[in-house]
Amino acid sequence: MKGKYYIQGMAAISPQHTFEGDLSVQPMVISNGNMLSCVEPDYKAFIPGNSLRRMSRILKMGLTTALRCLQDSGIETPGAIVTGTGKGSLQDTEKFIKEIRDYKETALNPTPFIQSTYNAVNGLIALQQKCTQYNNTFVHRGFSFENALLDSMLLLHEGTANVLAGAFEEITAEHFYIKSRIGQWKSEHISNDTLYKHFSPGTISGEGAAFFILGPSPTTNTYAELAGLKMLYKPSPEKLAASLQTFISHEEIDMVLTGRNADTNYDQYYQVVDQQLSGIPQLPFKHLCGEYDTAGAFALWLGAQLLKTQQLPAQWFPMLQQPPAKLRNILIYNNFFGEQHVFMLLKGI
Amino acid sequence: MAERVFITGVGMITAIGDDVAGNLHSLCSQQSGLGFTSHLDTIYKTILPVAEVKYTTQQLSEMAGVAGIDGYTRTTLLGLIAVREALAQAGITDVQQEPTGFINASTVGGMCDTENVYFDIVDPEKTGDFLKFIDTLDCADCTQRIADTVGFTEHIATISTACSSSANALMYGARLIKAGLTRRVICGGTEALTRFTLNGFNSLKNIDKRPCRPFDQQRNGLNLGEGAAYLVLESESLVRENNSKVIAELSGYANTNEAFHPTSPSPEGDGAFAAMRDALAMSGHTIADVQYVNVHGTATLSNDVSEGKALQRLFGTKVPPFSSTKPFTGHTLAAAGAIEAIYSVLAIQHQLVFPNLNFTEGMEELYITPETQLKEGYPVHHVISNSFGFGGNNASLVISKYEG
Repeated sequence: MKGKYYIQGMAAISPQHTFEGDLSVQPMVISNGNMLSCVEPDYKAFIPGNSLRRMSRILKMGLTTALRCLQDSGIETPGAIVTGTGKGSLQDTEKFIKEIRDYKETALNPTPFIQSTYNAVNGLIALQQKCTQYNNTFVHRGFSFENALLDSMLLLHEGTANVLAGAFEEITAEHFYIKSRIGQWKSEHISNDTLYKHFSPGTISGEGAAFFILGPSPTTNTYAELAGLKMLYKPSPEKLAASLQTFISHEEIDMVLTGRNADTNYDQYYQVVDQQLSGIPQLPFKHLCGEYDTAGAFALWLGAQLLKTQQLPAQWFPMLQQPPAKLRNILIYNNFFGEQHVFMLLKGI
Repeated sequence: MAERVFITGVGMITAIGDDVAGNLHSLCSQQSGLGFTSHLDTIYKTILPVAEVKYTTQQLSEMAGVAGIDGYTRTTLLGLIAVREALAQAGITDVQQEPTGFINASTVGGMCDTENVYFDIVDPEKTGDFLKFIDTLDCADCTQRIADTVGFTEHIATISTACSSSANALMYGARLIKAGLTRRVICGGTEALTRFTLNGFNSLKNIDKRPCRPFDQQRNGLNLGEGAAYLVLESESLVRENNSKVIAELSGYANTNEAFHPTSPSPEGDGAFAAMRDALAMSGHTIADVQYVNVHGTATLSNDVSEGKALQRLFGTKVPPFSSTKPFTGHTLAAAGAIEAIYSVLAIQHQLVFPNLNFTEGMEELYITPETQLKEGYPVHHVISNSFGFGGNNASLVISKYEG
């Protein structure tokens, strides 16, 4: 698919101080335990108090990130809204399941049901910004955000002026426990800054929201160019290696942002990338955001941020021994529990 | 120029039929699938009618050819049965022969099974068989189970935009083809009845205790249904290369948002109007070319006013025959868009307009009324199929007779 895709504005809420301020002076937020939670901003600056009271956590987080992203890009009403979320509003889903049981299916409050629908955040953004155009939500684990990106690229290709593309995910204590029962998290309790020292089955969980304005041509505010996107469903290591070769065939990669998460169950895929790109500096990011369906959106936000500022906040990446000689082409590789694998290529402007 | 997108196979299972032929038979003989549930554990068992697929989950697993294998939810099994029929009808025996994408739609994933074991799953004191359902909590589970069973390894996605989910799946698939990213993609959606959605819509006071009455003055809400439907979409060049039999063309589509209210459409049907208008414009046809509209027609108070107003705005005094098939199938949420897309294909193939059951009295807000009798031998060339949902998500498709 021919075309150029530029990130014209963006915003992220994550377990780090990513929402506002100068990144280079923000310390790394260290959490004890295997469940990272977002540093949440004061939502009142974005959402009126009476609406805020009715909204559950992920709706606030998603809507606020989207609004901040629009502010950052100087666009009020985007040409389309496309998002990805693996789990939507867990809090509302859990609440409605419990209320059905507790109230024996009678006199139920519909609000958690409405907010549990996966497209609720999209609908809210459209409502708030009066965006009556294309609106879509993808809900496919580690391909949720990436399909939203692909859909956005298709829209730009088809002539849409700009697209608000984003992802949002939350973790709850209950869901953390559920996924611990199938071994997704480490059995030993660690803190995120020591993640890569604990090479064992499982990883740490995370959450976050990230939104981007994508447009077909660069502006003075442009962060980076999204120059490539490839999704691979359950590939063999051989297929992964061959696809990576094709994906970067004519590109010089300065740095890899890797989704490596110290989980021995799926590390073999990251080793494929090690072998193919030996000698190229790799920067892991899961110690900052944890593992979740749409962590790829955090990686894209981080990569675009690094390219625009041309700075690596050293306090976030103590593992980095030799910074890359230059920072122009960043490859992002991520996989979600070995099933959905993604390559993204970001280029500086 | 972008490639045209053709439909070369269809497959479905609903309360009115185990396959496409069974559905057509029930539509023509005016057999509704509405009744009381035998499978759902709810206090509304004998109060709220639903359109349930009559087989147990065990029987469905036999029909889907996966009996005795763990982890298939009812959602997945319904989907698998419909996908298998669509592939067979398109003459596809090996999905690996041509890279084939799979775009699925789901509103609550495997909730049908997880809601029965959820409190065991969250209870550290309990352990057992139910743990195999942990991975079915999300919407991607059914998609991947189906993909892995039939062998899809290429582009895969799941869409969830409430009641317009599978119409958006068809649209996304068509756009992947037009952009040249794939030449063949299977699109549709699957939905099983759950206590969660039944109570959700009931808490919104959106469910009628009687069989639903779309576009009737006395309508009082929807009835839920379950089912699955998939369409095989192929690019024009692939169709030529393989000499595939084309059964219809997906000639237009549009997705718009109401930006009006989280669960209600705008009273004048702005989003519905824009979706139909834009889809028709894309198809290159005009309002005079449309012979049938398969309306969303949920029979909720607000949908039918809004959609009816939109029809009147678009077609003026020349509104073509229209009907809601929800009184046959119930509202199947994520599957509805694909089920009704197949009904639109059937209308073209067999030159039919399906009746809108349970209609007696026109709505005071509208001057139009739905088709109440089966029209046979009716020249249907272009059909608009509507799917509108929560979050203001509207989708309209235009399906056209294949003229070569």
